[in-house]
Order: sequence, then C-alpha cells, then structure tokens
Amino acid sequence: MVEFLAQTGLNALYAASYLSLIAVGLVLIFGVMRVINFAHGELYMAGAYCVVALYAQGRAPFLAAVAAGAVFVGLLGLLMERALFRPLRDNPLGGLVASIGFLMILQAAAAMGFGVRMQNIPPASQEVLVIADRVRLALPRLWVIIAAAVLLSALWLFLKRTRFGWALRASAQDREAAALQGISIDRTARVAMFIGAALAGIAGALTAPMVSVNPNMGHSVIISAFIIIIVGGIGSLEGAVIAAFAYAFVHTFVATFADAVIADIVGLLLMLAVLIVRPTGLMGTRDRA
Amino acid sequence: MLLELKGVAVSYGKVPALRGIDLAVPAGGIVTIIGANGAGKTTCLRAISGLVRLSAGSIRFDGARIDGLAPDRIVARGIAHVPEGRRIFPDLTVAENLMTGAFLRRDRAAVARDLAEVFARFPRLAERRAQRAQTLSGGEQQMLAIGRALMAAPRLLLMDEPTMGLAPVIVEEIGRIVRAIAAGGVPVVLVEQNAELALSLADHAYVFETGALALSGPARELHDNEHVRAAYLGV
Repeated sequence: MVEFLAQTGLNALYAASYLSLIAVGLVLIFGVMRVINFAHGELYMAGAYCVVALYAQGRAPFLAAVAAGAVFVGLLGLLMERALFRPLRDNPLGGLVASIGFLMILQAAAAMGFGVRMQNIPPASQEVLVIADRVRLALPRLWVIIAAAVLLSALWLFLKRTRFGWALRASAQDREAAALQGISIDRTARVAMFIGAALAGIAGALTAPMVSVNPNMGHSVIISAFIIIIVGGIGSLEGAVIAAFAYAFVHTFVATFADAVIADIVGLLLMLAVLIVRPTGLMGTRDRA
Repeated sequence: MLLELKGVAVSYGKVPALRGIDLAVPAGGIVTIIGANGAGKTTCLRAISGLVRLSAGSIRFDGARIDGLAPDRIVARGIAHVPEGRRIFPDLTVAENLMTGAFLRRDRAAVARDLAEVFARFPRLAERRAQRAQTLSGGEQQMLAIGRALMAAPRLLLMDEPTMGLAPVIVEEIGRIVRAIAAGGVPVVLVEQNAELALSLADHAYVFETGALALSGPARELHDNEHVRAAYLGV
C-alpha cells in the first residue's frame, strides 16, 4: 500500500510539473497582456507536434526537438502579440475572441499538416528509475519534473532579481503606470508572450511521447489550466504553482482510487470550494482579480 | 520655453476632451492647471506623457516634437509624471517601487545617490522600504509616487492631483514638497482641484473649462480675478 501511494504520488508530481508550466505561462500572459489566452492549450499542442515532426518523423534527438519546439512556440507567441493582441490592446474582450480564432487556426493547421489521427511517437527513453520494487519513474517523466523545477526557478529568479523582471512585475500590476516609468509596453508584452508561449510549448513537447498527440489535445489541458489559475488567484504566479500541485495531487489520487470522471468533478468542486472561501483565489488580491 | 503645447486637441471617440490648448512651461518654477472635474486637466497631462494621442496640435519639449512618441520614449526625454490616484505598484516593496522610477537610468552611482536623497526627503518611506507598497497610508503612497517620479531624475515633473483625498496636514506637506522640488531646479506642472493651494504655490496658472483654455496669467493675478474667485475659490 505504501508503495502504491508513493507511485501515485510520483504520478501526481509529474502531472503537477507539466500543468504548472502551462498554468504559469497562462498567468504571465494574463498579467502583462490582460488577455485570457484561450489558444494556450493549442500552443501546448504545437509544442507536441514539433516533437512529432522533428523527433518521430525527422529523427532528430528528442531533447533537440524539445528545444526547437520551445523556440517555435515562443515565436508563435510573438506572432500572436504582434498580429492579435497589440492591435486589440484596449479591448480585452477582443483579445480573448481573437485568441479563440487563433486556437482554431492552429488546430486546422495541425490537422492539415499531420492528419487528425493520433500520432505515434516512440518513447524518448526506455530507461526506468526503480526507486522501490513497485515505485518506478520512467526517465522521460523525470525529465518533465526536472524541467519544470529548473524553468520555474529560473523564471522566479528572472522576475525577482533582474531589472527587466521587475519591469515585468510592475507592468503586470499597472501597465500604464509602468509606461510612465519608462517601461516599454511593447517590450514587456513581447517578453511575456514569448516566455508564456514557450513554457506551454516545452510542456507539450516533453510530454508528447506519453500522451495522445492529436489536433484537439489542447482541450484536455486548458480546462485544468483554467481551474488552476482560478484556484491560485488570477495573476499570481506563486498561486498557479501551488494550485497546480494541489489540483494534480487531488486529481491523480481520485482518478487512481475512483475514476477519471469523478476526478474531473472533484477538480471542479475544488475550484468551487476555493471560490466560496476565498473569491480571489489562494494568492490573489482584489486589485488583480 | 521648456515645454510648449500649440493647438492641442484630444478626443475620446467623438467626445472632444481638449480643444485647441496653448500652454507654455518655462525652465523653472511651478505652472498650475486648475478647473472643474472633466475640464480636461488630466487629459492634458496624459497627452504630454503620450498616454493619449492628439487629434490636432503639437507638443514640443526642449524644442523637439514629442507628440506621437511612446510613453517610455517621453520618459527617456526627461518628463516624469505622478499620475492621478498615485498608481503605485501595490505588490512591489517601497524600495522596488522607487527603483522602477529609475528604470531607464544606467548611472548606478547617481541612482543610489538619488535614492538616498528621496529617503532623506521622505523619512517615512525609508522606514518602510521593505514593506509592500499597498500597506502604506494614502499620504505615504502619494509620497512614494512623487519619490518614484524623482528617481527618474526628471527635467520636468507633471503632477496630477497630488492632494486628492488627503488630510489637511498632509496636503500642506505636499505643498511644501512641490515647492521644494521646484526650488531644487525641477520645473513642475501641477494639476489641482484645490485651486487655493495651487494658486498659492504656482508662478503661472491656466484655467481649463470644458476642454478649452478659459484664462491664463500669473497665479497671483488669477487669485484676485473675480471669475476665478467665484468659480474656484468659493469666495
């Protein structure tokens, strides 16, 4: 039983890792751009398809495909900023609707380029870390956990310790006041979009061999990501990470001991409970809500 | 003239907010803009800082056109703006808020010196430097907003309603601060609803009414002007 619990805990840690990469990107984009990016799940999907194209079909090394995926999806983020969000800057609803349109374009592009069938991706590594007899962690899952820990720590240091990170936080709190300090709105928007999109791309690329890769795969993560950022407090990066862990552990344990549908319901109940007790989310403040 | 507005007009959609404003700020002293709510005072400062686009007219700073530049480029030219409602960054600490004001500056030593100067000018901010800005009182937040603008080492300071919502004692203190800043060589454009205070501080005054310039002249003269006394000074 102890081993079974430990194994489920490891599975939850893996889920928490990729979900926090996705949710933190979503929060960063919302904070700086004031836009709910509905296409975020499709950025994750685009990262997975980079691995399909470069690793499964193109025979490139897996991690090189992941890196290329991060850059490619980051560039997609820059494209969204320039083509959609900048012209609609004073129109938050317009940005949201445009992101829904972009979501459909990305899905159609994936379907046209690769077909609608699930993609077959060989495992990135066959190695398994054996912690105990029945507690095992496939190496590709360990990579996801390590990548999330490293990237989120790096992002945290960037935001807290660097001048431009400060500017980004100031911009997220009050974009106009930040502009009055000489902080370029265009530049902070570009950086936030690139980082936020690239994090989703990395999550998609790293998990591609372990999930079913198809043009609609974004749906499966975007709902979870929305629940996480609402539970964490919209606008709070720390909240998003904490909520990703809470959600992933609850969801994984319920799915393991009951079933996946009940786990989805419990996830939504978790969000409801937090909203009733703390309407601004765990780490949210009134200003940001 | 350090700053010169000629025929400046701004519209929000089809609603004109400013119509044909001519305004000049010399290289020293305090210029005030007074007027009722909605007279266009705030819009005028926002136009200078590039937060709203002109529909007509021009703005020159130090002889060069600045209308059409992005707000961050206008800050780079040397215009700092203390916005209406303070607009400090609530989740940054007091010290971090001040340092955002120096975002464009590369001269570390001078920035450190200016930070020490701001702390000397506002001892309360020094005491609370590690606190999140949202925990400050209204008056302290206003001091923080002013300190943040000074951290840009500006050549011109725009202040929008710095006394709004503050207790009379604090209002007096803000008045002394504004005077000290101008005396220190940084000209100030002060937008105020508190006309009595504004006219007592300023050298020159402009009166805005429904988006247009109604009157202008030396502050002392406007203080004795019958229309101004009846409309803005309540006497």
